[in-house]
Amino acid sequence: MSTAYVVLDTLGIVALSENGDVIDKVIYSGDVDSIAEKLNKLEVGQPVDELINLVNKLKSAGFVRVVIENKELARNLSNVMSGIEIRSELPSKPGLMYRENFGSRYVREVFGMDEGQYMARVYEITVAQTRHKLKQVAEKRDLFIAQAISSVDDIDKILNLISSRVREWYGLHFPELDDLVKDHRDYMTLVSELGHRRNFTVENITKLGISQDRARRIYESSVKSVGAEMADWDLEPIRAYARIYLQLYNIRNQLTQYIDEAMSEVAPNIKELVGPLLGARLIMLGGGLMRLALLPASTIQVLGAEKALFRALRTGSKPPKHGIIFQYPEIFRSPRWQRGKIARALAAKLAIAAKADAFTGNFIAPRLKEELLKRIQEIKTLYAKPPARKPEVKAKAKPQGAPEKKGGRKPRHK
Amino acid sequence: MSSLIKPTGVKAHERFKGVYWVSFEDGSEKLATINLTPGRRVYGEQLVQWEGNEYRIWNPFRSKLAAAIMNGLKVMPIGEGTRVLYLGAASGTTVSHVSDIVGPGGLVYSVEFSPRVFREFMEKIIDQGRRNVIPILADARYPEQYLSIVKTVDVAYIDVAQPFQAKILADNADVYVRGNGYVMLVIKAMSIDVTKEPSETFKREIDHLKERGYEILDMVHLEPYDTAHAIVVARKSR
Repeated sequence: MSTAYVVLDTLGIVALSENGDVIDKVIYSGDVDSIAEKLNKLEVGQPVDELINLVNKLKSAGFVRVVIENKELARNLSNVMSGIEIRSELPSKPGLMYRENFGSRYVREVFGMDEGQYMARVYEITVAQTRHKLKQVAEKRDLFIAQAISSVDDIDKILNLISSRVREWYGLHFPELDDLVKDHRDYMTLVSELGHRRNFTVENITKLGISQDRARRIYESSVKSVGAEMADWDLEPIRAYARIYLQLYNIRNQLTQYIDEAMSEVAPNIKELVGPLLGARLIMLGGGLMRLALLPASTIQVLGAEKALFRALRTGSKPPKHGIIFQYPEIFRSPRWQRGKIARALAAKLAIAAKADAFTGNFIAPRLKEELLKRIQEIKTLYAKPPARKPEVKAKAKPQGAPEKKGGRKPRHK
Repeated sequence: MSSLIKPTGVKAHERFKGVYWVSFEDGSEKLATINLTPGRRVYGEQLVQWEGNEYRIWNPFRSKLAAAIMNGLKVMPIGEGTRVLYLGAASGTTVSHVSDIVGPGGLVYSVEFSPRVFREFMEKIIDQGRRNVIPILADARYPEQYLSIVKTVDVAYIDVAQPFQAKILADNADVYVRGNGYVMLVIKAMSIDVTKEPSETFKREIDHLKERGYEILDMVHLEPYDTAHAIVVARKSR
């Protein structure tokens, strides 16, 4: 009629008698990650094999009752066990005893270690466990990011449409403004806030955040504008449309903010390497972080340039040097002949960063970035001059024909 | 920037071991702890070299425990070698100083629920090599979730934005705090009930601790560093 108390530990499971003597134990085998996984299961109340085996052994040793401190675990265990009563009690007396006298007694008795060794092990396992959990949480979020970045791209298109429409429409009334205010957002603010050009006083314009100097110029041209007269009734729809622009602009900011934060959670390495937006685009094009992580660097290099890539494969024209990673400043700001090399170096680092984000969660980006910048420096010094060859331009843009089929590059398919 | 002002001396805190006052040439005095991971910063705090030790300035506007010490906390059960169960570790600002104070012989089990801030915690605390901190991503309302990991501690410290903080603290303490151990409760009146006067909320949380058998040893308000916040130190008489 005796009761056994089951106590969970990071390194194993211990069965104690009511007065705290060790009856039996299982020590987890396997590597840090597999132990971390077991702990995660136990935490949410899923019995692991080790626990079931231990309770079975207790049963055959004649114990009729097992007390476990985790309620959920006790309940789920009693569903899979029969012939033995399973109860929960938090904290149990032997449990308290175990935790209280752990360093002085049990660490040696149960695990045969000193406390330092034990703690080093616990540290390793809990860190792995936490990383594992953080990763699980972040998992699906990569798809949210992909949607968010697509929305940003949509909004950009819409913003361009609206701004060119408003410029043309309002231009009928005040054509000079188009050249004076190049920034779309300033233009839309002026239109939506001021409306009729007679309201373009220096004071009104500066109030909207435009410098005194420019305000004066705008004011002067508003006075001698050659545009058609418009009544407020004509202007209202234009102003409403411009307001939509500004609202959308704000939404775009919120979205990029969201992407920025979500990227630090999901893919901090990629974010550190190429920034949140480009990173998000890569995840979108890859079809999720996990899939991106499984892509080879050469594919990451040309993500977003599929059209050019398949054309190259089909016709033997020159393959693209870069896809979406062209947006990386070091690439598009570099001279043409260096871009391919930088793109290749960047793609290689991105492939590593994506793997770190998807699988380990370690933050290794600072090192990657440093290596990358070093390589870029190297490229810049080694290939400072353009190659002496004839200009390579245009071949890329030609749809077919591939005029100058040089060297050994042959079409893949027949 | 204050970082340009040079330190002129360091003296130990009059009551709490492991806590220091660093004085500066402009006459100001700031709290500090000895950096367990020299050369590394956790939240952009100032590092000060003095007589072979590196001190990390402890900002009371960022850390409620520092605010309590500035406001004359009398009982601070965290010292060298202390084992602490820290509930609500967030991104690790206060945890880092607690980790400094307890030193390599102590231990800080750090429990946090939000993965968002805990990722930062991992970067700043774990990746920087603070080996006396055990990270636990779990919900402090369910102390059974970390039974496998946590052993008996000397102090349970709670700083969570949750109603029933005192209850959560006592539930954890029942399982993990040694007989005659301490609890420290950061009461965030506004997170518990915005509609009530802070003093009412303080009283309610303190009453709950008393009901659970705790003797209140000290309480300090955290103004002006944090409004409507207080820290309570209590001890269970078993």
